[in-house]
Amino acid sequence: MTLEQGKAKLKRSARHAGLTLLQAAAICLLAWLAHGLVLYFDLPLPGGVVGLGVLLLLLSLKWVPEQSLQAGAAWLLGDLLLFFIPPVISVIQYEAVLEQYGAQMLGFLVAGSVTVLLGTAWVVDRVFKFERRLRLSRELARLEFGAAK
Amino acid sequence: MSHTWLGLLSLIITLVGYYGAKRLYGKLGYWWAAPILLAPVLIIAAVLLLDIPLPSYFEYTHFLVLLLGPATIAFALPIYRERALIARYPITLTLGVMAGLLLGLLSSWGLVKLFELPPELGHSVLVRSVSTPFAMEATTAFGGVPELTAMVVLMTGIIGMLLCGPLFRLGRVRSALARGAALGASAHGAGAAKAREYGEEEAVVASLTMIFTGIAMVLTAPLFALLLV
Repeated sequence: MTLEQGKAKLKRSARHAGLTLLQAAAICLLAWLAHGLVLYFDLPLPGGVVGLGVLLLLLSLKWVPEQSLQAGAAWLLGDLLLFFIPPVISVIQYEAVLEQYGAQMLGFLVAGSVTVLLGTAWVVDRVFKFERRLRLSRELARLEFGAAK
Repeated sequence: MSHTWLGLLSLIITLVGYYGAKRLYGKLGYWWAAPILLAPVLIIAAVLLLDIPLPSYFEYTHFLVLLLGPATIAFALPIYRERALIARYPITLTLGVMAGLLLGLLSSWGLVKLFELPPELGHSVLVRSVSTPFAMEATTAFGGVPELTAMVVLMTGIIGMLLCGPLFRLGRVRSALARGAALGASAHGAGAAKAREYGEEEAVVASLTMIFTGIAMVLTAPLFALLLV
């Protein structure tokens, strides 16, 4: 890589980082507004879910273009794990509880995950086959209707 | 070292531990290098070795936790982007979300009794199968401790990621929708990342199932808290 190419690459990634930060800040502002909305109208819903609904509405009405928040949202969702590491670290204060119940917890978590994983897959597999048949027969009916005309 | 310096050091440790693990996993690809496992292990080890007290650890890192709120809102973008898939399989997705939510809550509730977990833990683990921003919001309705919830959500993700391969073979789960929905409902973010290894449709279905199960959990938590706790 020549020096010129290196400079151009650096400039591009700096621009991308700036854009990401700006868009993430816009989403933070929206979160703050949604929180205010919930407090002001005393809504029985959490601010995050209200904000999500409002943003989805704004995107659907095309008042907010998808592209204008894409990079910021991708960062917030891609690095979600980073944002909940601090509470995970603080479990060291529950060391005694976890030492005492560690084995039970592991058994509990494995049994629960097996249930949800297999149960959901079983339900979806059946519903999916039904819905696919439904779609196919609907499309077939439309084609036949079209041919009859 | 003074309080503030330890606070700054903690923030640096957290950022380096997380982004370092992420890069390493990108290069190596071993399951034990997955950031969901390696990053907390590295950071806890550093905090214990350097003997950093928790109040100092939280001085600056608590700003990271504040970003969970905006992250919830950012989920609007993938929902909007995948509207075509939602329109194609509305019944399958809805029932997948309902099955995932009910199985997650009721299996946790029953298994807490079976494994005789104490109330402090028992109340914190009910929301374990949904994504963290939603779990942290919903757990308070059940009287859970957010820190314990964060940990079990993380462990649930790791376990789901490790178990899905053998379980899919055992249960003969082959359709993309079933695999995606199962991963999204049982292992949230880690499951959605794992689903990408199976295929693009699996990944999208996993993300959507994860998001909708999370929203449904937050909205129904007060009701289920009346019934279950």
